[in-house]
Amino acid sequence: MTDTLKSTCEQCLYLRDPQLEFLPAAFERQRELILRDLRELVTAASLEQEKSVVLLAGGLLEAVLFCFIESQSGYIEARRGSFTFDPEQSLSNFVSIFNRWFSDVHSIPDLVVDYRDIVHINRELQFDPDICSRAARELLRLLDSLLGRLAEYAKK
Amino acid sequence: MANVAQFDLGTHGREARLRALLEDLVQAHINSRPGTRLALAVWHQKDANSDYQHLLELIAGDAMPGFPNDRLSLLWKTGSQTPPYADVFCTTINDFMRRVTADPGQAARYKERFEVLFFDKDLLPPELVEMFQILTEPSGLIKGWVISEEEYDSAQNVQVLLSKHSHTRPLLGLVKTTESADFEYCRGIVHVQIEKKWLPVSPEGIRPYSYYADWQRGRRVYFVFEGGSLYQVLKFEVKGAPELAHRLLRRNADDRYPEVYLRTVPVPARPAA
Repeated sequence: MTDTLKSTCEQCLYLRDPQLEFLPAAFERQRELILRDLRELVTAASLEQEKSVVLLAGGLLEAVLFCFIESQSGYIEARRGSFTFDPEQSLSNFVSIFNRWFSDVHSIPDLVVDYRDIVHINRELQFDPDICSRAARELLRLLDSLLGRLAEYAKK
Repeated sequence: MANVAQFDLGTHGREARLRALLEDLVQAHINSRPGTRLALAVWHQKDANSDYQHLLELIAGDAMPGFPNDRLSLLWKTGSQTPPYADVFCTTINDFMRRVTADPGQAARYKERFEVLFFDKDLLPPELVEMFQILTEPSGLIKGWVISEEEYDSAQNVQVLLSKHSHTRPLLGLVKTTESADFEYCRGIVHVQIEKKWLPVSPEGIRPYSYYADWQRGRRVYFVFEGGSLYQVLKFEVKGAPELAHRLLRRNADDRYPEVYLRTVPVPARPAA
Protein backbone atom coordinates (compact mmCIF):
# COMPACT_ATOMS: atom_id res chain seq x y z
CA MET A 1 0.00 0.00 0.00
CA THR A 2 0.97 3.68 -0.32
CA ASP A 3 3.11 5.14 2.44
CA THR A 4 1.05 6.52 5.27
CA LEU A 5 1.65 10.14 6.17
CA LYS A 6 3.04 8.95 9.48
CA SER A 7 5.59 6.65 7.84
CA THR A 8 6.44 9.31 5.26
CA CYS A 9 7.05 11.81 8.03
CA GLU A 10 9.16 9.30 9.97
CA GLN A 11 11.51 9.14 6.99
CA CYS A 12 11.85 12.94 6.97
CA LEU A 13 14.81 13.64 9.21
CA TYR A 14 14.71 17.44 8.96
CA LEU A 15 11.02 17.69 9.76
CA ARG A 16 11.45 15.74 12.97
CA ASP A 17 14.81 17.23 13.92
CA PRO A 18 14.86 20.71 12.37
CA GLN A 19 18.22 22.37 11.83
CA LEU A 20 17.48 26.02 11.22
CA GLU A 21 21.01 27.40 11.40
CA PHE A 22 20.43 28.99 8.00
CA LEU A 23 18.35 31.59 9.81
CA PRO A 24 20.37 34.45 11.30
CA ALA A 25 20.38 34.89 15.06
CA ALA A 26 18.21 37.99 14.68
CA PHE A 27 15.38 35.83 13.27
CA GLU A 28 14.48 34.44 16.67
CA ARG A 29 10.73 35.02 16.30
CA GLN A 30 10.71 33.54 12.80
CA ARG A 31 12.54 30.47 14.11
CA GLU A 32 9.95 30.03 16.88
CA LEU A 33 7.09 30.22 14.39
CA ILE A 34 8.67 27.74 12.01
CA LEU A 35 9.43 25.31 14.84
CA ARG A 36 5.86 25.60 16.11
CA ASP A 37 4.45 24.88 12.66
CA LEU A 38 6.83 21.97 12.15
CA ARG A 39 5.64 20.43 15.41
CA GLU A 40 2.04 20.82 14.29
CA LEU A 41 2.91 19.36 10.89
CA VAL A 42 4.44 16.24 12.43
CA THR A 43 1.38 15.86 14.65
CA ALA A 44 -1.01 16.24 11.70
CA ALA A 45 0.99 13.69 9.70
CA SER A 46 0.98 11.19 12.56
CA LEU A 47 -2.81 11.52 12.65
CA GLU A 48 -3.03 11.00 8.83
CA GLN A 49 -4.68 14.41 8.36
CA GLU A 50 -4.02 15.04 4.69
CA LYS A 51 -5.56 18.46 4.30
CA SER A 52 -3.96 19.76 7.49
CA VAL A 53 -0.61 18.52 6.23
CA VAL A 54 -1.10 20.32 2.90
CA LEU A 55 -2.02 23.53 4.73
CA LEU A 56 0.88 23.37 7.16
CA ALA A 57 3.53 22.11 4.73
CA GLY A 58 2.53 24.71 2.12
CA GLY A 59 2.65 27.45 4.74
CA LEU A 60 6.01 26.21 5.98
CA LEU A 61 7.49 26.20 2.49
CA GLU A 62 6.45 29.82 2.16
CA ALA A 63 7.76 30.66 5.64
CA VAL A 64 11.14 29.02 5.05
CA LEU A 65 11.60 30.71 1.67
CA PHE A 66 10.38 34.05 3.05
CA CYS A 67 12.93 33.97 5.89
CA PHE A 68 15.77 32.54 3.82
CA ILE A 69 15.38 35.07 1.00
CA GLU A 70 15.07 37.95 3.45
CA SER A 71 18.24 36.81 5.23
CA GLN A 72 20.06 36.52 1.88
CA SER A 73 18.95 39.91 0.52
CA GLY A 74 22.51 41.25 0.62
CA TYR A 75 23.84 38.28 -1.33
CA ILE A 76 21.13 38.62 -3.99
CA GLU A 77 21.70 42.36 -4.24
CA ALA A 78 25.42 41.82 -4.72
CA ARG A 79 24.79 39.39 -7.59
CA ARG A 80 21.80 41.15 -9.12
CA GLY A 81 22.89 44.76 -8.75
CA SER A 82 19.65 45.71 -7.00
CA PHE A 83 17.26 43.83 -4.74
CA THR A 84 14.70 44.84 -2.19
CA PHE A 85 12.97 42.11 -0.24
CA ASP A 86 9.20 42.45 -0.64
CA PRO A 87 7.35 40.63 2.15
CA GLU A 88 4.06 40.96 0.27
CA GLN A 89 5.17 38.64 -2.53
CA SER A 90 3.46 35.30 -3.10
CA LEU A 91 4.81 31.77 -2.70
CA SER A 92 5.19 31.67 -6.47
CA ASN A 93 7.48 34.72 -6.35
CA PHE A 94 9.53 33.32 -3.48
CA VAL A 95 9.97 30.03 -5.37
CA SER A 96 11.01 31.99 -8.43
CA ILE A 97 13.56 34.11 -6.55
CA PHE A 98 14.97 31.03 -4.82
CA ASN A 99 15.29 29.03 -8.03
CA ARG A 100 16.97 31.91 -9.78
CA TRP A 101 19.63 32.71 -7.18
CA PHE A 102 20.03 29.45 -5.29
CA SER A 103 19.63 26.77 -7.94
CA ASP A 104 23.04 25.45 -6.93
CA VAL A 105 21.60 24.78 -3.46
CA HIS A 106 18.27 23.26 -4.50
CA SER A 107 15.58 23.48 -7.20
CA ILE A 108 11.94 23.76 -6.21
CA PRO A 109 9.44 22.44 -8.78
CA ASP A 110 6.58 24.66 -9.93
CA LEU A 111 4.03 22.11 -8.77
CA VAL A 112 4.57 23.01 -5.08
CA VAL A 113 2.52 26.12 -5.78
CA ASP A 114 -0.27 24.01 -7.30
CA TYR A 115 -0.16 21.73 -4.27
CA ARG A 116 -0.24 24.60 -1.79
CA ASP A 117 -3.11 26.22 -3.70
CA ILE A 118 -5.42 23.25 -3.19
CA VAL A 119 -6.18 24.81 0.16
CA HIS A 120 -8.79 26.59 -1.99
CA ILE A 121 -11.67 24.26 -2.77
CA ASN A 122 -12.03 25.49 -6.37
CA ARG A 123 -8.41 24.53 -7.02
CA GLU A 124 -8.76 21.12 -5.42
CA LEU A 125 -11.88 20.44 -7.49
CA GLN A 126 -9.85 20.95 -10.67
CA PHE A 127 -7.63 17.97 -9.88
CA ASP A 128 -8.20 14.25 -9.67
CA PRO A 129 -9.58 12.90 -6.36
CA ASP A 130 -6.12 11.71 -5.23
CA ILE A 131 -4.58 15.17 -5.31
CA CYS A 132 -4.79 15.92 -1.59
CA SER A 133 -3.27 12.59 -0.62
CA ARG A 134 -0.47 12.94 -3.17
CA ALA A 135 0.17 16.60 -2.36
CA ALA A 136 0.40 15.87 1.37
CA ARG A 137 3.02 13.15 0.87
CA GLU A 138 5.04 15.04 -1.68
CA LEU A 139 4.96 18.33 0.22
CA LEU A 140 6.30 16.53 3.31
CA ARG A 141 9.23 15.17 1.31
CA LEU A 142 9.82 18.38 -0.64
CA LEU A 143 9.88 20.45 2.55
CA ASP A 144 12.21 17.95 4.23
CA SER A 145 14.49 18.04 1.21
CA LEU A 146 14.57 21.87 1.21
CA LEU A 147 15.32 22.01 4.93
CA GLY A 148 18.11 19.48 4.45
CA ARG A 149 19.71 21.47 1.65
CA LEU A 150 19.50 24.73 3.59
CA ALA A 151 21.03 23.04 6.64
CA GLU A 152 23.95 21.92 4.44
CA TYR A 153 24.19 25.42 2.94
CA ALA A 154 24.48 26.93 6.43
CA LYS A 155 27.43 24.69 7.24
CA LYS A 156 29.47 25.85 4.26
CA MET B 1 41.92 35.07 -25.75
CA ALA B 2 41.07 37.81 -23.32
CA ASN B 3 42.74 37.64 -19.96
CA VAL B 4 41.24 38.63 -16.64
CA ALA B 5 42.74 42.12 -16.86
CA GLN B 6 40.91 42.76 -20.11
CA PHE B 7 37.61 41.41 -18.83
CA ASP B 8 35.23 44.36 -18.52
CA LEU B 9 33.59 43.76 -15.16
CA GLY B 10 32.15 47.28 -15.25
CA THR B 11 29.96 46.51 -18.24
CA HIS B 12 28.82 43.21 -16.75
CA GLY B 13 27.96 44.91 -13.49
CA ARG B 14 26.02 47.66 -15.26
CA GLU B 15 24.16 45.10 -17.36
CA ALA B 16 23.22 43.10 -14.27
CA ARG B 17 21.93 46.23 -12.55
CA LEU B 18 19.96 47.33 -15.62
CA ARG B 19 18.45 43.85 -15.92
CA ALA B 20 17.39 44.00 -12.29
CA LEU B 21 15.82 47.44 -12.72
CA LEU B 22 13.99 46.38 -15.88
CA GLU B 23 12.75 43.18 -14.24
CA ASP B 24 11.43 45.26 -11.34
CA LEU B 25 9.62 47.52 -13.81
CA VAL B 26 8.08 44.55 -15.61
CA GLN B 27 6.99 43.03 -12.30
CA ALA B 28 5.42 46.36 -11.30
CA HIS B 29 3.53 46.42 -14.60
CA ILE B 30 2.27 42.88 -14.02
CA ASN B 31 1.04 43.85 -10.55
CA SER B 32 -0.42 47.24 -11.42
CA ARG B 33 -2.42 46.67 -14.59
CA PRO B 34 -5.67 44.95 -13.63
CA GLY B 35 -7.50 43.37 -16.50
CA THR B 36 -4.40 42.92 -18.66
CA ARG B 37 -2.21 39.85 -18.90
CA LEU B 38 1.39 40.39 -19.82
CA ALA B 39 2.55 37.71 -22.23
CA LEU B 40 6.06 38.86 -23.06
CA ALA B 41 8.66 41.42 -22.01
CA VAL B 42 11.79 41.79 -24.12
CA TRP B 43 14.80 43.98 -23.45
CA HIS B 44 16.10 44.77 -26.92
CA GLN B 45 18.95 46.82 -28.41
CA LYS B 46 20.77 46.16 -25.14
CA ASP B 47 23.55 48.59 -24.42
CA ALA B 48 24.77 48.62 -20.84
CA ASN B 49 26.69 51.85 -21.46
CA SER B 50 23.66 53.81 -22.64
CA ASP B 51 21.30 55.84 -20.48
CA TYR B 52 18.42 54.70 -22.66
CA GLN B 53 17.16 51.11 -22.67
CA HIS B 54 14.39 49.61 -24.78
CA LEU B 55 11.61 47.43 -23.45
CA LEU B 56 8.92 45.70 -25.50
CA GLU B 57 5.85 44.50 -23.62
CA LEU B 58 3.13 42.44 -25.29
CA ILE B 59 -0.21 41.80 -23.69
CA ALA B 60 -2.79 39.15 -24.46
CA GLY B 61 -6.22 39.96 -25.85
CA ASP B 62 -7.44 42.46 -28.39
CA ALA B 63 -7.99 45.53 -26.20
CA MET B 64 -5.22 48.05 -26.74
CA PRO B 65 -3.48 49.02 -23.50
CA GLY B 66 -4.96 52.05 -21.83
CA PHE B 67 -1.62 53.29 -20.55
CA PRO B 68 0.78 55.42 -22.55
CA ASN B 69 3.98 54.22 -24.12
CA ASP B 70 6.54 56.29 -22.38
CA ARG B 71 10.07 56.95 -21.34
CA LEU B 72 10.38 56.02 -17.69
CA SER B 73 13.20 56.48 -15.24
CA LEU B 74 14.34 53.07 -14.04
CA LEU B 75 14.89 54.68 -10.65
CA TRP B 76 11.13 55.35 -10.35
CA LYS B 77 10.96 53.51 -7.04
CA THR B 78 13.03 56.23 -5.40
CA GLY B 79 10.95 59.00 -6.96
CA SER B 80 13.88 60.01 -9.13
CA GLN B 81 13.44 61.06 -12.75
CA THR B 82 17.11 60.64 -13.62
CA PRO B 83 18.86 58.12 -15.92
CA PRO B 84 18.86 55.30 -16.75
CA TYR B 85 15.60 55.43 -18.68
CA ALA B 86 13.50 52.76 -20.34
CA ASP B 87 11.61 53.46 -23.55
CA VAL B 88 8.64 51.18 -23.09
CA PHE B 89 6.57 50.10 -26.05
CA CYS B 90 3.52 48.12 -25.00
CA THR B 91 0.91 46.73 -27.33
CA THR B 92 -1.20 43.66 -27.95
CA ILE B 93 0.23 40.49 -29.45
CA ASN B 94 -2.05 40.82 -32.46
CA ASP B 95 -1.04 44.43 -33.11
CA PHE B 96 2.62 43.52 -32.79
CA MET B 97 2.25 40.63 -35.21
CA ARG B 98 0.57 42.92 -37.74
CA ARG B 99 3.37 45.47 -37.41
CA VAL B 100 6.26 43.03 -37.86
CA THR B 101 4.49 41.28 -40.73
CA ALA B 102 3.96 44.57 -42.53
CA ASP B 103 7.47 45.83 -41.78
CA PRO B 104 10.10 43.11 -41.26
CA GLY B 105 12.59 45.85 -40.40
CA GLN B 106 10.72 46.33 -37.12
CA ALA B 107 11.13 42.65 -36.28
CA ALA B 108 14.86 42.94 -36.87
CA ARG B 109 15.03 45.88 -34.47
CA TYR B 110 13.35 43.90 -31.66
CA LYS B 111 15.69 40.95 -32.23
CA GLU B 112 18.80 43.09 -32.03
CA ARG B 113 20.77 42.22 -28.86
CA PHE B 114 17.59 41.05 -27.12
CA GLU B 115 16.88 39.25 -23.90
CA VAL B 116 13.52 37.88 -22.82
CA LEU B 117 12.82 39.11 -19.29
CA PHE B 118 9.36 37.60 -18.88
CA PHE B 119 7.08 35.29 -20.79
CA ASP B 120 3.88 33.34 -20.37
CA LYS B 121 4.14 30.68 -23.02
CA ASP B 122 0.47 29.78 -22.76
CA LEU B 123 -0.40 33.23 -24.10
CA LEU B 124 2.15 33.36 -26.91
CA PRO B 125 1.61 32.25 -30.52
CA PRO B 126 4.26 29.87 -31.94
CA GLU B 127 5.63 32.64 -34.19
CA LEU B 128 6.64 34.71 -31.17
CA VAL B 129 8.02 31.69 -29.32
CA GLU B 130 10.22 31.06 -32.34
CA MET B 131 11.05 34.73 -32.98
CA PHE B 132 12.41 35.22 -29.46
CA GLN B 133 13.83 31.70 -29.14
CA ILE B 134 11.86 30.88 -26.01
CA LEU B 135 12.94 27.37 -25.14
CA THR B 136 10.94 25.79 -22.34
CA GLU B 137 11.35 22.13 -23.12
CA PRO B 138 13.87 19.89 -24.82
CA SER B 139 13.12 18.48 -28.22
CA GLY B 140 11.05 15.30 -28.05
CA LEU B 141 9.73 15.86 -24.53
CA ILE B 142 6.38 14.23 -23.84
CA LYS B 143 4.31 15.32 -20.85
CA GLY B 144 2.15 13.19 -18.69
CA TRP B 145 0.42 12.32 -15.46
CA VAL B 146 0.73 9.62 -12.86
CA ILE B 147 -1.88 6.88 -12.60
CA SER B 148 -2.15 4.89 -9.39
CA GLU B 149 -2.81 1.16 -9.14
CA GLU B 150 -6.40 1.77 -8.10
CA GLU B 151 -7.05 4.24 -10.89
CA TYR B 152 -5.56 1.92 -13.49
CA ASP B 153 -7.56 -1.06 -12.24
CA SER B 154 -10.82 0.86 -12.43
CA ALA B 155 -10.12 2.67 -15.71
CA GLN B 156 -12.44 2.12 -18.67
CA ASN B 157 -10.16 3.41 -21.37
CA VAL B 158 -7.22 5.71 -21.96
CA GLN B 159 -9.46 8.59 -23.06
CA VAL B 160 -11.21 8.58 -19.69
CA LEU B 161 -7.85 8.56 -17.91
CA LEU B 162 -6.64 11.44 -20.04
CA SER B 163 -9.80 13.46 -19.59
CA LYS B 164 -9.44 13.18 -15.80
CA HIS B 165 -5.94 14.62 -15.87
CA SER B 166 -5.27 16.58 -19.02
CA HIS B 167 -6.85 19.83 -17.78
CA THR B 168 -4.25 20.05 -15.01
CA ARG B 169 -0.55 20.81 -15.22
CA PRO B 170 1.39 17.69 -16.30
CA LEU B 171 3.24 16.16 -13.36
CA LEU B 172 6.21 14.89 -15.29
CA GLY B 173 7.96 14.96 -18.62
CA LEU B 174 9.94 12.30 -20.42
CA VAL B 175 12.70 12.48 -22.99
CA LYS B 176 12.99 9.01 -24.46
CA THR B 177 16.49 7.58 -24.67
CA THR B 178 15.67 4.14 -26.04
CA GLU B 179 12.62 2.51 -27.59
CA SER B 180 12.15 -1.07 -28.71
CA ALA B 181 11.38 -1.72 -32.37
CA ASP B 182 7.83 -2.80 -31.52
CA PHE B 183 7.35 0.28 -29.27
CA GLU B 184 6.43 -1.95 -26.34
CA TYR B 185 9.38 -0.92 -24.19
CA CYS B 186 11.11 2.39 -23.77
CA ARG B 187 13.35 4.25 -21.40
CA GLY B 188 13.61 7.94 -20.73
CA ILE B 189 14.89 10.74 -18.57
CA VAL B 190 12.31 12.06 -16.11
CA HIS B 191 11.70 15.81 -16.20
CA VAL B 192 9.96 18.25 -13.92
CA GLN B 193 8.81 21.83 -14.49
CA ILE B 194 10.94 24.46 -12.78
CA GLU B 195 10.40 28.13 -13.55
CA LYS B 196 8.16 27.13 -16.50
CA LYS B 197 10.99 25.09 -18.02
CA TRP B 198 11.12 21.33 -18.27
CA LEU B 199 14.39 20.25 -16.67
CA PRO B 200 15.77 16.80 -15.87
CA VAL B 201 15.16 15.75 -12.32
CA SER B 202 18.25 14.84 -10.29
CA PRO B 203 18.78 11.45 -8.63
CA GLU B 204 18.04 13.13 -5.28
CA GLY B 205 15.27 15.32 -6.66
CA ILE B 206 13.10 12.38 -7.72
CA ARG B 207 12.76 11.03 -4.18
CA PRO B 208 9.92 13.29 -2.98
CA TYR B 209 7.56 12.18 -5.72
CA SER B 210 4.85 9.72 -4.79
CA TYR B 211 5.29 7.66 -7.95
CA TYR B 212 8.91 7.00 -7.02
CA ALA B 213 8.07 6.17 -3.40
CA ASP B 214 5.22 3.90 -4.54
CA TRP B 215 7.48 2.09 -6.99
CA GLN B 216 10.09 1.62 -4.25
CA ARG B 217 7.41 0.01 -2.10
CA GLY B 218 6.58 -2.46 -4.85
CA ARG B 219 3.34 -0.85 -5.97
CA ARG B 220 2.42 -0.66 -9.62
CA VAL B 221 2.80 2.81 -11.08
CA TYR B 222 1.55 3.99 -14.47
CA PHE B 223 2.17 7.07 -16.57
CA VAL B 224 -0.26 8.35 -19.17
CA PHE B 225 1.11 10.83 -21.67
CA GLU B 226 -0.45 13.45 -23.90
CA GLY B 227 -1.53 11.64 -27.03
CA GLY B 228 -2.72 8.62 -25.07
CA SER B 229 0.34 6.43 -24.49
CA LEU B 230 -0.09 4.43 -21.30
CA TYR B 231 2.94 2.83 -19.66
CA GLN B 232 3.72 0.86 -16.54
CA VAL B 233 6.91 1.77 -14.69
CA LEU B 234 9.26 -1.20 -14.60
CA LYS B 235 12.10 0.44 -12.71
CA PHE B 236 14.13 3.57 -12.12
CA GLU B 237 17.88 3.53 -12.49
CA VAL B 238 20.39 6.34 -12.11
CA LYS B 239 22.43 6.67 -15.24
CA GLY B 240 25.63 8.61 -15.91
CA ALA B 241 25.03 10.03 -19.35
CA PRO B 242 27.23 12.96 -20.45
CA GLU B 243 26.16 12.25 -24.03
CA LEU B 244 22.65 13.45 -23.17
CA ALA B 245 23.74 16.97 -22.24
CA HIS B 246 23.08 18.39 -25.71
CA ARG B 247 19.53 17.03 -25.70
CA LEU B 248 18.47 18.56 -22.38
CA LEU B 249 17.97 22.15 -21.27
CA ARG B 250 20.14 21.70 -18.18
CA ARG B 251 22.91 19.33 -17.22
CA ASN B 252 22.70 17.62 -13.87
CA ALA B 253 25.71 17.49 -11.58
CA ASP B 254 28.07 14.74 -12.76
CA ASP B 255 25.67 14.15 -15.68
CA ARG B 256 23.66 11.73 -13.56
CA TYR B 257 20.00 11.26 -14.41
CA PRO B 258 17.27 8.95 -13.12
CA GLU B 259 16.18 6.89 -16.11
CA VAL B 260 12.79 5.24 -16.03
CA TYR B 261 12.12 1.91 -17.76
CA LEU B 262 8.59 1.69 -19.15
CA ARG B 263 6.38 -0.90 -20.81
CA THR B 264 3.22 -0.17 -22.77
CA VAL B 265 0.14 -1.61 -21.13
CA PRO B 266 -3.47 -1.89 -22.20
CA VAL B 267 -6.27 -0.66 -20.00
CA PRO B 268 -7.98 -3.63 -18.35
CA ALA B 269 -11.09 -4.57 -20.37
CA ARG B 270 -13.99 -3.24 -18.38
CA PRO B 271 -17.53 -2.54 -19.52
CA ALA B 272 -18.76 1.01 -19.08
CA ALA B 273 -20.94 1.44 -15.99
